[in-house]
Amino acid sequence: MSVLDQLLVFAFMTGAVASFIGDRRFAGTLLAILYFGQFLLLVKLAPLGYGAQPVVSAWQPALFGEVLVWRMDALGWYFALITVVAGWLVTWYASGEWGQGYRERGGNLGLMHTAVAANVVAMLLLLSSGNLLSLFVGWELVSWAGFLLMVMNGRESGGVSGPAGLRYITYATLGAMALLAALAIAHHASGSFEYIDLIDAVDQMTGPTRVSLVIAFALAFTIKMGLLPFHLWQAPAYAYSPGPGGAFLGAISSRVGLWGLAMVFGSLIGIGRIAGIELIPGWFDLRDVFMWVAALTIVLPTFTALRQNDARLLLAWHGIGQGGYMLLGLAAGDALGTGGGLMHVLNHASYQAPLFLAVFAVMHRTGTSDLNRLGGLVARMPLTFLVMLIGIIGLAGLPPMNGFVSKYLVYISLLRQGEPLLFILAVIGTLGTVLSVFKLLHNTFLGQLRVEHMEVREAPWSMLIPMLLMASVVVVTGTAPGLVLDWVASAQAALGLPVLDHTLGGAAGLDMLWVSGVLVYGFAVGTLLFLSGNKSRRVHQFDNYAGGHFLTAENQYQYSDQFYAGLMHHIGGWYRASFTWAESVVIASVDAMSAAANGFFRRTQAVFLLLLATLGSVAWLLWGVGS
Amino acid sequence: MIPELHVGWVLFAGAIGLIAIGVGGLLMSRDLFRVVLALAITEAGANLLLVLSGYRFDAIAPIVTNEVGGVMVDPVPQAMVLTAIVIGVGVQALALGLVLRIYRAYGSIDVAEVRRRMDDDIAAEAGLPLPSGREKPAVHS
Amino acid sequence: MNAIVLPVVLPLLAAFLLPSLARIWSSAARVLGPVLMLVSLCVLWTTWGEHPTPFVVALGGFQPPMGIAFHVDSVAMLFAFLVAGGALLMWPAWTDDDTMPRLAALTLLLVAAATGLALSGDLFNVYVFYELLSVASFGLVSARRTGAAFAAGFRYLVISGFGSVLALLGIALIYLRTGTLNIAHLGQLAPESLADPFGLAAFALLLLGFGVKAELFPVNTWVPEVYAGSSARVAGLLAGVVSKLAVLVVVRMLVVVFPHDETRMLLLILGVVGVLSGELAAWSAKDMRRMLAFSSIGQLGMIFIAFSIPGEAGWVAGLALVLHHLVVKSGLFLIADRWGGALQSLTGAARVSPFTAGLFVLFALSLIGVPPLPGFWAKLQLVIGLVENGNGVYLGALLVFLAATVIEANYLFRLAVAMYAEGASSTVTAPSGGNRIGAAIFAAVLVAAVFLLNPLSEAIDDLAVVGNDATGYMDSLAGGAR
Repeated sequence: MSVLDQLLVFAFMTGAVASFIGDRRFAGTLLAILYFGQFLLLVKLAPLGYGAQPVVSAWQPALFGEVLVWRMDALGWYFALITVVAGWLVTWYASGEWGQGYRERGGNLGLMHTAVAANVVAMLLLLSSGNLLSLFVGWELVSWAGFLLMVMNGRESGGVSGPAGLRYITYATLGAMALLAALAIAHHASGSFEYIDLIDAVDQMTGPTRVSLVIAFALAFTIKMGLLPFHLWQAPAYAYSPGPGGAFLGAISSRVGLWGLAMVFGSLIGIGRIAGIELIPGWFDLRDVFMWVAALTIVLPTFTALRQNDARLLLAWHGIGQGGYMLLGLAAGDALGTGGGLMHVLNHASYQAPLFLAVFAVMHRTGTSDLNRLGGLVARMPLTFLVMLIGIIGLAGLPPMNGFVSKYLVYISLLRQGEPLLFILAVIGTLGTVLSVFKLLHNTFLGQLRVEHMEVREAPWSMLIPMLLMASVVVVTGTAPGLVLDWVASAQAALGLPVLDHTLGGAAGLDMLWVSGVLVYGFAVGTLLFLSGNKSRRVHQFDNYAGGHFLTAENQYQYSDQFYAGLMHHIGGWYRASFTWAESVVIASVDAMSAAANGFFRRTQAVFLLLLATLGSVAWLLWGVGS
Repeated sequence: MIPELHVGWVLFAGAIGLIAIGVGGLLMSRDLFRVVLALAITEAGANLLLVLSGYRFDAIAPIVTNEVGGVMVDPVPQAMVLTAIVIGVGVQALALGLVLRIYRAYGSIDVAEVRRRMDDDIAAEAGLPLPSGREKPAVHS
Repeated sequence: MNAIVLPVVLPLLAAFLLPSLARIWSSAARVLGPVLMLVSLCVLWTTWGEHPTPFVVALGGFQPPMGIAFHVDSVAMLFAFLVAGGALLMWPAWTDDDTMPRLAALTLLLVAAATGLALSGDLFNVYVFYELLSVASFGLVSARRTGAAFAAGFRYLVISGFGSVLALLGIALIYLRTGTLNIAHLGQLAPESLADPFGLAAFALLLLGFGVKAELFPVNTWVPEVYAGSSARVAGLLAGVVSKLAVLVVVRMLVVVFPHDETRMLLLILGVVGVLSGELAAWSAKDMRRMLAFSSIGQLGMIFIAFSIPGEAGWVAGLALVLHHLVVKSGLFLIADRWGGALQSLTGAARVSPFTAGLFVLFALSLIGVPPLPGFWAKLQLVIGLVENGNGVYLGALLVFLAATVIEANYLFRLAVAMYAEGASSTVTAPSGGNRIGAAIFAAVLVAAVFLLNPLSEAIDDLAVVGNDATGYMDSLAGGAR
């Protein structure tokens, strides 16, 4: 039994424990300990992150003449580490007061723990898949485990989680069927489901076969990542999942799409071969398609996020946009770009999860995530504010947080490759991110405290510690990105991509140790100046005036609704509407075909059909043999 | 000189003609009873074709007698046709029984009317709005 | 004579005796059918163990190809086994009232005919059993004695009757050419006498004639109203078991007598259109019965696609799909007994019976093909088989199949999500105990199959070799009858 087997068995056991005793009071704590055990087993596998050979599972069942193989390499280990840590911390978050509250609101806590554990198991199975068949099995398990987490929140979400989940599973099945088609093409070309055989067979493939293989893989993985134009399912599905579940899904679940694309771009087909498929010879190839899709995925969902007034939806829409950066880097194909793209996976998970959890902590205390009904909570929930502050700096990609490092690598890669337009789009996306995360922070924590929130207390420690741990990851890996870049470089090596040359402080001329040092120095100077000045005096927020008026609960000097009204007026909502319109066209045409099929069964003269079919098939056979 | 018309061809033509008549009847009848009749005619045509498939005009009946010599007609199709006719009669009796039941239930044996009532009944049983747009299905036994 | 005829003869005998027995001792009459099914299962089990190679049973002592023969190989035994097992689990005549004797007798007749269909090695015998099957199923469909049941039964009768005429025409054409109806003998003669347009036309007639029961497009327009108008158990029997027997007949003819590209292509195209029309119609179905009916049209289309793949790959995929669909659709129809009405009324049904809703989700997942459930492995075999052929039409079929699966996932889980909707109260009642137990047994079979995938896959591979072995089928003639 290899360490990988131990890990998988342990993860299964965690799931079993969750399903049996998940609704007990102590279950969350016990499960968090079990997840920590999984984490320790992953630490035991840590040599993978530093260039060790892949670990193979001893269990290789053969079914219908096909073998299922599990084998974890550096890429899988990197993603698995994020998955298990995310699962561990969100379960910890749910283990105390949040879980109690969830149960009191009528939620099924046991089911939620089970669903999270099932997601972790499915992810581990997928990430350690050693051939295409086990990849598909893991893929479907991840899809359906995610579905379970999305639809279980019926009452909490006011009934919207069901339709959102149904939309998700329809898209996911479409992706799964694309993957099945890719499997079939690969099996046809190589005669087996093994990665090695496929890699060997790629060169011998005819042009159309290779193109259809790339398209089938790309369809499967982009749908899961929620890239344009298949992004509509993601935001509502994640936003209305139960809090820790939503944080887990938003942090890592949809990144398995990127994991798949990394395999396609790296080892299975190769970004060079994809760039060799020219759509307009000399001008535009298949790789450009990926890059432009990625760039548009950065811009459009980010500006959709800007329009959201529900904090959960705002974050979920950002999750889609951040996926664009990852793909943009990956499709750039060089050491900088792929390194930045892969590093962004960990960075994104490390700030997206605490941001979600912070929003759910605010919901836990105030009962709402409506950005027009919050404000001023910094005075009541300072540590939650700190978590969100660190998170949004990371999300916006500003130094000294880790989000800056990965985005910087992607930018440099784009500039070096001579893609100024894509660079500009990426920067526009960052601008939109800055605007909208400021809206999130401001409308939740800054401004005036609302009267109904006067008595709100800070979130309990059971929720704060996991959030603070995640936030500390953002700071630490922002200051010393080399920690993560070691793993990223091993993953690049495992994929056969160019390996990023890096130091502890960063790569490509960036030294975050230095940058952070300067910032800390500047901060220290500012603090000294602040302390050396006159003492400020605290007053109650209504003990003040604005524009000659005294302030009351009704008459505030600062409002948090209708944020960016002017900007909203200018950017409009046409791009969002165009995708929903396209989706409704597809649904309408299926509807029309369905009505036709129903009409066929309802109205036709059966005997007439039988006769027609007989004559037709007899004629066809006579003609077929005659010619 | 008029070419000699082989009796076999006439019979073949007759069989196919019966089938054609039957199919026409199945397609055009608006009345369940006529549908049953048309089905019976079609079956008769098929049976005739089957018996012709093994028939030889220069042979004797396939009965073992003391008479010596002579080719016997293939008895298998005849046995099969007898079976088919018996089955056909059974099915027709069942069909007529069903027509009677339908008439008792719906008071009509018009194809379109029965179809509409059936759709309404199925929808009503499932708790769906009636396809015909009526409020509720007419009472039946 | 061989014990293998007992599964045909005993139910036939019992079907005629049962109405009289019911007058004397009604409780014995009630259990007679299920007991006979158990006996049949035992007989088939022991025969399966005793005779590893195909053999022929001559009825009435005449040696084939002259007499009427049963051709017994493992594929035929499997289908006979499925008939007895399916009828046992779906037994529709547990009722206490006066309809019991009639229902039981008709079911026994159906079982006898279906078993005969599986075992027959003679085309005319096939026809006779097929007609017997038809008559029994008309009776069962109309057994609810409502106007809708009679009307649906009548429409079914007309389509099926006309289909029989076509089949008879096909048989006549074949006999005209070859002078024999023994399938093994036909297989030997076919390369000279039936490999021309004339013979292929005969195949087309047989295909469409027998295709009526196999829910083959376009002769399946009876399906929705019959499944909606008859009782759920009868619908489950027709969709789960009877349709598969008709498939077996068609596929036997395809493999042994008409192994041509044209005939396979015909089967493939009709299968593809069947998948499309069935799944699309199910997408907008408003009640569960008709949703299941349309979905079974789609699934049968997939089975036809599978069998149209040449070689053993087609048989592996086809048999796997047949077994899977039988288990899943029978279970779903048992659930639909009480829950077959408007989909709207099922909103929140999971709180009425969480167990039943759970079973529905399990069946739906397997039907969509989510690993590791058996449905996935069946569909995987189909996908691999289709691509291995590499031919453009087969690839088109693959695309249609994949798209249909997406539609399937959507409509099945639209219902599943609605069942679990909170805050809604459903008007339906929990399924009866018998139906719940039956559905649970099918679910247990499905789950057990996950753990027994390896032996199952080996067994299916062996069966596929036998099923695809046309020469083996023909050689059984030379072995002489027992």
